[in-house]
Amino acid sequence: MTNAPVEAIDVARRQPYPGAPDNWKRFFSFSTDHKVIGIQYIVTAYIFFLIGGLLSMVMRGELITPEADVVDRTVYNALFTMHGSIMLFMWTFPVLVGLGNYLVPLMIGARDMAFPRLNAVSFWMIPIVGILMIASFFVPGGPSQSGWWAYPPVSLQNPTGNLINGQVLWILAVAISGVSSILGGVNFVTTIVRMRAPGMTWFRTPAFVWSVLAAQLIQLYGLPALTAGAVMLLFDLTVGTSFFAPERGGNPVLYQHFFWFYSHPAVYVMVLPVFGAFSEILPVYARKPLFGYRVVAVSSLLITFISGLVWVHHMYASGTPGWMRILFMFTTLLVAVPTGVKVFAWVATIWGGKLRLTTAMLFALTGITNFVFAGITGVMLGSVPIDIHVNNTYFIVAHFHYVIYGTIVFGIYAALYHWFPKMTGRMYYEGLGKLHFALTFIGTTLCFFPMHFSGLMGMPRRVASYDPEFAFWNVLASLGGFLLGISVLPFILNVVSSWIQGEKAPNNPWRAIGLEWFTTSPPPVENFEEIPVVISPPYQYGKNQPLIENQSEIVPADGVTT
Amino acid sequence: MKLRPILAISAFVAFLSIASFWTAKQAYSWFPPQASAESKLYDELFSILTGIGTFILLGISLVVLYAMLFQRAGKYDFTDGPHIEGNTTIEILWTATPLFLVLWIATYSYQIYDAMAIRGPMELVHLHNPVEMQAAYAVPLDEVKPQLPTENIDVTAKQWAWIFRYPDRNVTSTELHLPVDHRIHLSLHSEDVLHGFYVPAFRLKQDVIPAKTIDFEFTPIQTGKYRLRDSVYSGTYFASNQADVVVESQEDYDRWLAMAANQTPSEAYNPAAEEHQRIARRNVVRGWKTVEPAPPPVVNFAPKHEPTSSPT
Amino acid sequence: MTAERSIAQSIESSIREDQAHEAAENSKFGFIVFLLSESVIFLSFFVGYSVFKTNNADWYPPGVDHLETREPLINTIVLVSSSFVIYVAERYLHDKKLWGFRVFLLATMAMGGYFLFGQAVEWSNLSFGFTSGVFGGLFYLLTGFHGLHVLTGILLQVVMLGRSFIPGNYDSGSFGVEATSLFWHFVDVIWIILYVLIYVWQ
Ligand code: HEA
Ligand code: HEA
Ligand code: CUA
Ligand SMILES: [Cu+2]
Repeated sequence: MTNAPVEAIDVARRQPYPGAPDNWKRFFSFSTDHKVIGIQYIVTAYIFFLIGGLLSMVMRGELITPEADVVDRTVYNALFTMHGSIMLFMWTFPVLVGLGNYLVPLMIGARDMAFPRLNAVSFWMIPIVGILMIASFFVPGGPSQSGWWAYPPVSLQNPTGNLINGQVLWILAVAISGVSSILGGVNFVTTIVRMRAPGMTWFRTPAFVWSVLAAQLIQLYGLPALTAGAVMLLFDLTVGTSFFAPERGGNPVLYQHFFWFYSHPAVYVMVLPVFGAFSEILPVYARKPLFGYRVVAVSSLLITFISGLVWVHHMYASGTPGWMRILFMFTTLLVAVPTGVKVFAWVATIWGGKLRLTTAMLFALTGITNFVFAGITGVMLGSVPIDIHVNNTYFIVAHFHYVIYGTIVFGIYAALYHWFPKMTGRMYYEGLGKLHFALTFIGTTLCFFPMHFSGLMGMPRRVASYDPEFAFWNVLASLGGFLLGISVLPFILNVVSSWIQGEKAPNNPWRAIGLEWFTTSPPPVENFEEIPVVISPPYQYGKNQPLIENQSEIVPADGVTT
Repeated sequence: MKLRPILAISAFVAFLSIASFWTAKQAYSWFPPQASAESKLYDELFSILTGIGTFILLGISLVVLYAMLFQRAGKYDFTDGPHIEGNTTIEILWTATPLFLVLWIATYSYQIYDAMAIRGPMELVHLHNPVEMQAAYAVPLDEVKPQLPTENIDVTAKQWAWIFRYPDRNVTSTELHLPVDHRIHLSLHSEDVLHGFYVPAFRLKQDVIPAKTIDFEFTPIQTGKYRLRDSVYSGTYFASNQADVVVESQEDYDRWLAMAANQTPSEAYNPAAEEHQRIARRNVVRGWKTVEPAPPPVVNFAPKHEPTSSPT
Repeated sequence: MTAERSIAQSIESSIREDQAHEAAENSKFGFIVFLLSESVIFLSFFVGYSVFKTNNADWYPPGVDHLETREPLINTIVLVSSSFVIYVAERYLHDKKLWGFRVFLLATMAMGGYFLFGQAVEWSNLSFGFTSGVFGGLFYLLTGFHGLHVLTGILLQVVMLGRSFIPGNYDSGSFGVEATSLFWHFVDVIWIILYVLIYVWQ
């Protein structure tokens, strides 16, 4: 851990900050700077968020009436398949990798990721994945129409008979995204384990870094299983092997095990960094230390572990024998314990604090309450008898959009607002931010809350048409969905205008404690003039204790680096 | 002195309890009719979980809301809050309580599942050992009318139709008729892809897996017409793969079986095939190429219309 | 003035060396993490194989009732021994004896090549193909996927051999060789499990 400064080299290294006249070009180049890559990830992912969201707008348009009338059934089926796939593989994963990429080296006081070139390679696979996904709309037969699970035998039925079809492109895209994620995982784990600044012991490492580590470990143990399943599926589809083809002795249920062994933990890959972001953001705007920091940090790893043992809860109603259903019910419900520890710790963190309800804080706090709601419906789903009725209904769609939108997207917005000044060197407009928050909150509730009821009444998911009895709830959901569509506008407006002409941001506008705030906004190419030496645990709010050696010299009281 | 916080907390908990109790009661109204014995167990469990969930959700949300409203920093107050890093007692408490709670939920759910005794598939890895799951199904639910024999019915799902066969009478139908208060034993088959046997009014579902027979049991307890839906996504016309379930008295059921047995098989109405042809006749191409629906099933009892069960 | 500069230069170069060393250590750590992750792919295939085998009634394709084990066993012995050979090569490099290193590395490559050749001969003599039922698929999938790894290992060894002719290439550390050797051991261990699953457990 000797990231020693080298004066002589340093001069050459100090390049102009992003924002300097010709600098935007860096974002379109094969840069190996983790900050550039982080922003590349985030922006690319957001574009795909808009595309995925656009698809869901068409879906909600179809679902506003009971009949299948707006689009053909095949189109609807392709829409939800691609909506789910794009949102997960092209938005949630990349944007979180982007955040991690940007923040982890800064937070641990490193100059870059362990393998900068590999990092860039991982990123540039993402546009390729996106191109494959989008291209599948234009091949004969259209994109994959088998849902984001791609369960065989439906995914093996190939009505066009072509070798190049939507399903094949889908598998290739997922496989490439998997390779990118595994390489990213190797990079993150190495960086976090080996490159923390001198003095930053494990229990002085920020909770966000812990959660990224926990999430990336899941990628490393889970993704290979999905890859194995995907390879077998691809062979079944293209050369005619029969691993999952029941009419030729194959076993379609085995595919489900491969798929969920990864895809269940994957939901924690997505939510853990968001947990980490909550743990960073709350102390800053509540002016109090993170309550029970050590337990919060360790519970991330506990979740990593337990989440590897629960995948069958997605298959209760499938070809799963009774004993397996019961066994996995117990493991599933155990996840509530380390998760609950975090939630309670957050509440205790803000309790009795001096809250400042900035946009970031509003998104974080409502993200947490949304998450508790989603977690409770999750615990219900974990109960075998309950799941047997609501499985594959809109109750599930409601549960997971509450986590995925209500928690993860909220958490990502919170993080983007919180670190926006650091990333761009500009302040965002608080008023637009609050408007964005209000629209998003109302839209989310209106769109996804009613789905619980249509689900309990028995409305299956993945249907282009439904019985009129469900119409009421679907109209509400569609209106909420359209409101969500509108809600992105103030955000985009805010980001674009403040990036171009916003007020210049000081180095530490929120008076936060954390290494990333002890450098300039935006940070110089190699992050720190001098690698800081950490001398105390994070989040020492309310206690006049410096975080790093010579803090008062490096970071003067007004928060501006000399 | 210390009385005020204690009173405040007690009032808060009392309020939460009343609110949770009320929501738990509401939960019963969110469901279709209770047409099976299992649905009674189900709704009760769901109501209890709703109560617990409301308590937790409301408790946390109100605390957060209170902090958001009343614990804000003044505009020019740039001081920090109190430096509290943790509290071991509280942390142990909020680890142990959820632990016991979820263990209790799991155990109770297990008992309910056991009482439902719906059978379902056997193990994926067929190890050929005698330790079967049968033991778990030892408590049949229909203790109410134990004298009534179990009714065996074969169910076949395909893209996109449901066919029900009554092996004892050699009757086939596209409408599922069931005698009320009997234990029903279904053998589920699929001819092509995964499907799901799902009757919301029974609160039960079971995936149907090709090349495999799955046993499924339950007890309808209320006469009426209900909707059977395909629950595992099965391709283009998945949404229209529905059928009616008619639960009727023993006499009506016998009469129906006798009537159906006397009919010569004819082609039933099949929404998927119908719609597919309609689209083929139109010359505007709107969708992508799809798997062809199987021809409409030919059965003894062949309704010529869509499922007609009334809204929940 | 010049003295100061030379001190500065020597400090700088020692820091550079430090950083290079640091980078090599990182690479090694990262490579091990990668191999662990990679082994889960094989593990998944193995679990899949076991589930299929315990579950399917007619396991072998029609006309096949067992697999020949003799040639594969010889193959196995060759591959496993090559793990020791590459270890010896590594020792030579460690002692800075480049020729010993090259000779033993070549031997390793030859043994790996023999293994691939043996595999190719076996494949061409089999009566079933990739699409002959689940067993056929799994057999070719597993052995083929492993074979690809052997091939990769050999290619890595070729690169390492080539690099040994660049003067001074291995003076400041030999991460590449260590990684290649580690990879080779990994490929061997995987083969042992594979052999037990496919050939021994019939
Ligand atoms: C992305 C994030 C995410 C997260 C974090 C979760 C969290 C959880 N999920 Fe969810 N889930 C999804 C995303 C997520 N899920 C998705 C995408 C699907 C559907 C995929 C598909 O089919 O397409 C799904 C589906 C899904 C199913 C399958 C349903 C079905 O298809 O039939 C189940 C079943 O058990 C389940 C359970 C849970 C549980 C128990 C948790 C737990 O982790 C929740 C734990 C949290 C809490 C409980 C709240 C906080 C805790 C406390 C305040 C302590 C006190 C609480 C108690 C004692 C109850 N989820
Ligand atoms: C991160 C994941 C994520 C996110 C963010 C969302 C966001 C949304 N999702 Fe979801 N969804 C999934 C993941 C996600 N989803 C998954 C995994 C499935 C399961 C798929 C499957 O079953 O296989 C699913 C399924 C799913 C269904 C069920 C479909 C079915 O089963 O038939 C529905 C139905 O309403 C739905 C709706 C929505 C809506 C309204 C939003 C909204 O929140 C979106 C709001 C929209 C925007 C924010 C963008 C607005 C853009 C514009 C207005 C245009 C701008 C234009 C350009 C720049 C070109 N989604
Ligand atoms: Cu299951 Cu015998
Ligand atoms: Cu899950």
